[in-house]
Amino acid sequence: MGLHQTPAAVTGPPLAAHSDAAAVYPAHPAQMHRYPSLQPVYQSVSGAQTAPPAQTQTQLYTQPSAGAAQLSPSLASLSLQSQPPEALRAVNLLQERSLLPPGAVPPPVPCLPQDLQKINCSPEVFRCTLTSIPQTQSLLNKAKLPLGLLLHPFKDLSQLPVVTSSNIVRCRSCRTYINPFVTFLDARRWKCNLCHRVNDVPEEFMYNPVSGLYGAPHKRPEVQNATIEFIAPSEYMLRPPQPAAYLFVLDVSHNAVETGYLDVVCQTLLESLDSLPGDTRTKIGFITFDSNIHFYNLQEGLSQPQMLIVSDIDDVFLPTPDSLLVNLSECRELVQDLLASLPQMFGQTMETQSALGPALQAAFKLLSPTGGRMTVFQTQLPTIGIGALKPREEPSHRANAKDVQHLSPATDFYKKLALDCSGHHVAVDLFLLSAQYSDLSSLGCISRYSAGSVYFYPSYHKQHSPPQTERLQKDLKRYLTRKIGFEAVMRVRCTKGLSIHTFHGNFFVRSTDLLSLPNVNPDAGFAVQMSIEENLLDLQTVSFQAALLYTSSKGERRIRVHTLCLPVVNSLSDIFAGADVQAITALLASMAVDRCVTASLSDARDALINAAIDSLASFRSSVLSIQQPGLLAPACLRLFPLYILALLKHKAFRTSGSSRLDERVFAMCQLKQQPLVYLMMMVHPGLYRVDELTDEGALNISDRTIPQPRALQLSVEKLSKDAAFLMDCGTVMYLWVGRNCSPVFLTEVLGVESHAAVPLNMNQLPELDTARSSRLRAFVDWLRERRPCHAVLHVIRDESPLKAEFMQNMIEDLSESALSYYEFLLHLQQQISK
Amino acid sequence: MVLLTMIVRVADSLPLAASMQEDEQSGRDLQRYQSQAKQLCRKLNEQSPARCTLEAGAMSFHYVIEKGVCYLALCEAGFPKKLAFAYLEDLEGEFSEQYGTKVPSVSRPYSFIEFDTYIQKTKKSYIDSRARRNLGSINSELHDVQRIMVANIEEVLQRGEALSALDSKASNLSSLSKKYRSDAKYLNTRSTYAKVAAGAVIFITLIVYVRFWWL
Repeated sequence: MGLHQTPAAVTGPPLAAHSDAAAVYPAHPAQMHRYPSLQPVYQSVSGAQTAPPAQTQTQLYTQPSAGAAQLSPSLASLSLQSQPPEALRAVNLLQERSLLPPGAVPPPVPCLPQDLQKINCSPEVFRCTLTSIPQTQSLLNKAKLPLGLLLHPFKDLSQLPVVTSSNIVRCRSCRTYINPFVTFLDARRWKCNLCHRVNDVPEEFMYNPVSGLYGAPHKRPEVQNATIEFIAPSEYMLRPPQPAAYLFVLDVSHNAVETGYLDVVCQTLLESLDSLPGDTRTKIGFITFDSNIHFYNLQEGLSQPQMLIVSDIDDVFLPTPDSLLVNLSECRELVQDLLASLPQMFGQTMETQSALGPALQAAFKLLSPTGGRMTVFQTQLPTIGIGALKPREEPSHRANAKDVQHLSPATDFYKKLALDCSGHHVAVDLFLLSAQYSDLSSLGCISRYSAGSVYFYPSYHKQHSPPQTERLQKDLKRYLTRKIGFEAVMRVRCTKGLSIHTFHGNFFVRSTDLLSLPNVNPDAGFAVQMSIEENLLDLQTVSFQAALLYTSSKGERRIRVHTLCLPVVNSLSDIFAGADVQAITALLASMAVDRCVTASLSDARDALINAAIDSLASFRSSVLSIQQPGLLAPACLRLFPLYILALLKHKAFRTSGSSRLDERVFAMCQLKQQPLVYLMMMVHPGLYRVDELTDEGALNISDRTIPQPRALQLSVEKLSKDAAFLMDCGTVMYLWVGRNCSPVFLTEVLGVESHAAVPLNMNQLPELDTARSSRLRAFVDWLRERRPCHAVLHVIRDESPLKAEFMQNMIEDLSESALSYYEFLLHLQQQISK
Repeated sequence: MVLLTMIVRVADSLPLAASMQEDEQSGRDLQRYQSQAKQLCRKLNEQSPARCTLEAGAMSFHYVIEKGVCYLALCEAGFPKKLAFAYLEDLEGEFSEQYGTKVPSVSRPYSFIEFDTYIQKTKKSYIDSRARRNLGSINSELHDVQRIMVANIEEVLQRGEALSALDSKASNLSSLSKKYRSDAKYLNTRSTYAKVAAGAVIFITLIVYVRFWWL
């Protein structure tokens, strides 16, 4: 981020660069590294790197920012340490079009004293919708912004301090873990920052194992790091740590065999057997099902796997309880045998029924003594046995109805089973690969309440859709080898006065604030909503702490603790200045998903629009002193209407008839279970011009040079016929090649002679030995590395069938049933001035 | 049937390895025995008998202490004692060979949890009735089984509890007396106030009386 922006800022327009940066740098050289994060605003306002026409724009747009610049010196001298006044500059959205920063949108920095902010929790892990917490609930109500936290607690971290100690220091009354934001009254006592109780510092804590010094408790790693992991002593274990246990439940009905997914799954699993997280205790087992349930006896000593068929699906039992879930290291050969033969075993099957419910019951019976992970592959609607479902989607409904029905589950079987699983530390991950309607809203419950994850590959077929195969393969690879935590619980605590009332994500709420997570994975995100119950009058800061207790795949019980500290403010303008637009959008999206299920889709859409109207109206009436015409938003919320529009056009909430019910439900699941960064990729895709990538401002990561093209607005007017553009939508990327694209690009990057020769189903960039090709490939690889799911690349041109999908993501444009961005802004303005 | 096996360092009752058989029938019940086992491990010290059987209702605990490590198993009361101790000796032999030297230095609970695999395998061979007969004959030389002490789990766990009960009673008494003292003080002040108030009322009446009578 900072790396590539710094040079850009220097080459930026002289007026903008000077007014603030020049005045600030000499006075505060120590802060230089922080200021680049301010620059994007100036750049985007003046359209720094665009062609000559931007010159006139510069003239136009610097007018308001000059006004802000005049204001800023006086304000800057007051609050230079803290939040820049830039965040509050009123932006007239109707006039300023190019609002996107050139790269990723930076999270706002809480205005805390420098020494606290330096050790604060990373915004990638822990983020609050308001980085300045209002003092009272009435103030919060006035601001009309949602208050909540977004968590990514088990994120893969490159650096994580781990502490082994026999006594973990916690507050005696609220059980908060000691953290960097507690206060030491003297060397012997510390005051909890959540409940304000004064605690004693235990004797062992006086000694610092890192420096080997005695008597400096505030230098301990626990007090120096906002993210830390403890090795838990035996008081944190109800039972001996469980082994890593993986059970695979595979659909082998005719429909499933037809899609050919078994090949991919077995092959990928075979390759990943060595890298499955675990130790010598790791257990593995397989169940397949059609109208019967097949178990596989893999006991050590057998010459080949033994298949046991149970046809009594009304009362499922385990034929041989001890030898179905076996030790992987002892029975590896049998497992390999089975995986090699499984894809062929059902080649001739004529069985079309699917007894998913009974199979899940059997799998639960098998895993419940140990706990572990159940991976379910399903390709159709379950038709027989308990948990059978009926098709509910009617194509006629799909086309015209304003309101979508059947978003809530048809049966509570899956929820009940999930709760049983949760009680026995079993998580269920669902891979749904179906062409027809499979009622994901019912099936999804099995993962939702057992803290699993849902993957969906619509119309999966080995031959007909190779990109889906590639995606399944890559996703599965990541899924099998990523870190995993077993028998986990997570608790989120906050300073007295604040209270958490709603949680979003996949889990089961065991007691008011304890989330039961049978499994926790590094790609799961959570959100919580909060309210202010008691006024925070005499507090400077408040803190939030998320503690995740889990068993690692190596049988270690660990506690990962994240603590976030935020300032308390008492004016509306400060609240607006600290608003985090991405976090607000993500929280609103989760809330809207809930609203869809409890009320209706149109209610949820109205709520989203009202959220934008209310907050902007509040800004206009209570923060702005001078009433200007136009639709005004504070600079930090300038993307808010755009993101709301993006949500309205997102698969989950769109009203145009084309999306299938399962796809919509899956999009909703994604909104609830994805961490913020990945969620934003899906809500607001990135668009880059890629035919003229240069190394200017490129990132350098371990000897690789990654070009950083500017992010463009999602509008057709940004496309040009003589260029190529890359659109990154999270799980899919489109490389759109314009009709008159330069032949150099076509030959050197795509390896084709002419525009017409670009194949219609091209999914790979050829590895050509040219600078252009390697730049584009480096950029695409870099984008892919930064997400947990694999993004398939489609090279498209105007004739491609996927063109429509590509165009649907142009959210600033008018579409068949939705407003364009400009119309949407006019609508907002109308509502606000009403 | 061996339901629960634990290997614990005696010095600080740090669990080193364990194996649990969670059955559908005994699922909930086992929790209670597990916490009993934990308590028992905390009670053990160098002076405890090296071999002991503790009866706990339908179950009994058997343990062996060897080289500062306690090997504890929970069996059904009907499970032959001889077999239970043979099983524990077997674990002892393997464990001390594999991890014996590392035992004093570890600090993390369940550091040797991977021993679970061996425990489970051994357990299976002892439970299997065919194998059991063979083992029975092999281990007939385990002659001192008869001399192993038998005690009741409740007694062992409650040892020392009398003292703590006395302690709590004493502290209870002292807190009660403190409460009595403060109550008495409060009562005293209240009666003083009442006296003063009564005096004041009489005095005021007197003044009023004097004022209206004489003038």
